[in-house]
Amino acid sequence: MILEAKDLNYYYQDGESRRFVLKNTNVSFDKGKFYTILGQSGSGKTTLLSLLSAMDTPHNGEVVFDGKNILEIGHDNYRRNKVGIIFQSYNLIPTFTAVENVLVSMSITENELPDDHKTVAYNLLDYIGISQDKANRTVNKLSGGEQQRVAIARALSTNVELILADEPTGNLDEEMEQEIIDIFKKLAHEHKKCVIMVTHSNDIAEQSDQTFYLKKGVLNTNE
Amino acid sequence: MNFFKRGLLSITRRKGKSLILLAVLFILGNVIAGAISISQATANVEESIKERLGTGATLELDYEALDSMDESEMMNFEIPNLGEELINQIGELPYVKYYDYNTTTFLASEEIESYNPMMEEAEGEVEMAGMGPQFQLKGVNYAPLLDIEEGKSELVDGRVFTDEEIENGTPVAIISKKLADLNNLQVGDTFSLSNQIYEFSESGEEEVLDSRDVPLEVIGIFEPKTVNSDSENPEEFDYMDMDFQNTIYVANALVSQEMEFAVGDMPEYEDYYVPFFVLNEPEDAEAFEEEVSPLLPELFIVRHASDSYDSIAAPIESMSNLSKYVLIASVITTILIIGLVVLLFLRDRKRELGIYLSLGEARMRVVGQIITEVLIISIIGMTLSLFTGNLLAQTVSDSLIDNDNNQREDEIYYYTEMQTDLTTEDVIDAYEVSLTGDFILLFYAVGIITILLSTVIPLIYIIRLNPKKIMM
Repeated sequence: MILEAKDLNYYYQDGESRRFVLKNTNVSFDKGKFYTILGQSGSGKTTLLSLLSAMDTPHNGEVVFDGKNILEIGHDNYRRNKVGIIFQSYNLIPTFTAVENVLVSMSITENELPDDHKTVAYNLLDYIGISQDKANRTVNKLSGGEQQRVAIARALSTNVELILADEPTGNLDEEMEQEIIDIFKKLAHEHKKCVIMVTHSNDIAEQSDQTFYLKKGVLNTNE
Repeated sequence: MNFFKRGLLSITRRKGKSLILLAVLFILGNVIAGAISISQATANVEESIKERLGTGATLELDYEALDSMDESEMMNFEIPNLGEELINQIGELPYVKYYDYNTTTFLASEEIESYNPMMEEAEGEVEMAGMGPQFQLKGVNYAPLLDIEEGKSELVDGRVFTDEEIENGTPVAIISKKLADLNNLQVGDTFSLSNQIYEFSESGEEEVLDSRDVPLEVIGIFEPKTVNSDSENPEEFDYMDMDFQNTIYVANALVSQEMEFAVGDMPEYEDYYVPFFVLNEPEDAEAFEEEVSPLLPELFIVRHASDSYDSIAAPIESMSNLSKYVLIASVITTILIIGLVVLLFLRDRKRELGIYLSLGEARMRVVGQIITEVLIISIIGMTLSLFTGNLLAQTVSDSLIDNDNNQREDEIYYYTEMQTDLTTEDVIDAYEVSLTGDFILLFYAVGIITILLSTVIPLIYIIRLNPKKIMM
């Protein structure tokens, strides 16, 4: 088990009352598996992912990475060295080239990486399907699918074991969507990463090793 | 790619915004550079002029305080005497290089003529109330003569006094070259002054009650060096020059004897001395004044030769003040404008900043990147404005000085130990806006501190950023 959520509660305070987004959520994830968290809009999928990625803090409960509460690891440290995050809107630096976007995350992490960052970044992009020519373009000159591949390469570049993806195919066409899912499956099965993807697509969920259903703040293994 | 490289990349990739920031910094940099140039040039003038004014100091009555007295206070006020003991006590202070104190009297002479350039064309001489020409008999206590030591005059023949002559009041004198030439006097010659006591009758006629001759041997001849004959006001120059040329240096004791003769039986006669102290360094002035002031009798103050700087340097002083206000205003403006421009640009880069934070970058490094970017552009802008601002300062200050100097009325100077031949023109001539190392260092220091202060608000913005709200 690489990641575990224990009794997670997250709510919005509305005057005297609390509107729960997540209620006593308990879930665990293993390396080498591709997980999907399925739910409709507003079901709390993104909130759960933000807690698992240390972008936010739960009101109760804890997120444990490799047996250690991520609060102890430190949120910045956790994001820098333990997890790669992929967003629906890619979130790349628009004035930088594809390879520069990858190099940014490599310069931030403290994980041990080969000395020649640039070569590693080009190789990673090539592996994900971005040629060197495209890697040298500023990212706003790439298609949506290509930008998402760059985002995946950036998430992988820090040599982390946990990949969290927030509806990464939401802005892509079906063909591109499948290519991205194939990459995730490969990362999980061949590279023994733990890939957790939030989606509202049943088709994608069906391709994952395990699906969690999130409904009204409650997470279940059955629909 | 560390935060420094990211900053460099951001500058080159956002050329438009970088150029806007550069233009704003260049304009504000010009104002700051101009203000610092003027401020520093005026400070340099003050330093050099004060140095030329010398390190002399005297003790005198506080005339401003006297003016503020009402009539009855004034009537009851008796001018205190400083006395030799107090003067010597002050003269022994470590700040004092050497000192003298003088008592002066005026004696007539029927034997020698006084020097008077204003009357050269007219026949006759300046005479006072039927007396012969008048000479200032200036008593000294410092044998080598302060005026010679201080370079105000040069000994062109003979020698200065000996300590014995000063102590005993030996009838020996040092006279000016012009006075010597006019009366064919040489070192070793003797001339005679006349100490006469007059009484005026009711009809206004004078009557000599008593008189005695004061024979003096010429032991030295001096020539005044510093009175500026290029003065724009020749009459003023003539007056000062005449005063100086007709001064006859003798020992204080001799003046004292003649004063005693002149006052006759007046029982409470005391010698009044005007002291003059030459300090070791201009920087000693403040400490000297601090130590001396408590020792002085009521209403006496210390006055320094450099105090006259304020009166001759008015155009420079007003510009100095103006430059200080401009500097303060431009620094505040820069902080606000750059702060707002950077904040505005950062709002456009909110997502980028969120990306760095979501990748786990420490906020301080994100802050460091932004400061790097602003500083790099600032240093380029400041370097460009360093030269143009200096030129701007030159132009503006020339115009301000001309304007101010044309409105100023001429001042009249009198010869005293504290007198200076330096004029407002000399001060203006000494004013020079130049690109010195000190200026460059000060400009960069002020500029960089200002820029760092201007980044405070944008940095607070970064520190408060929540990556979740930006990214998800």
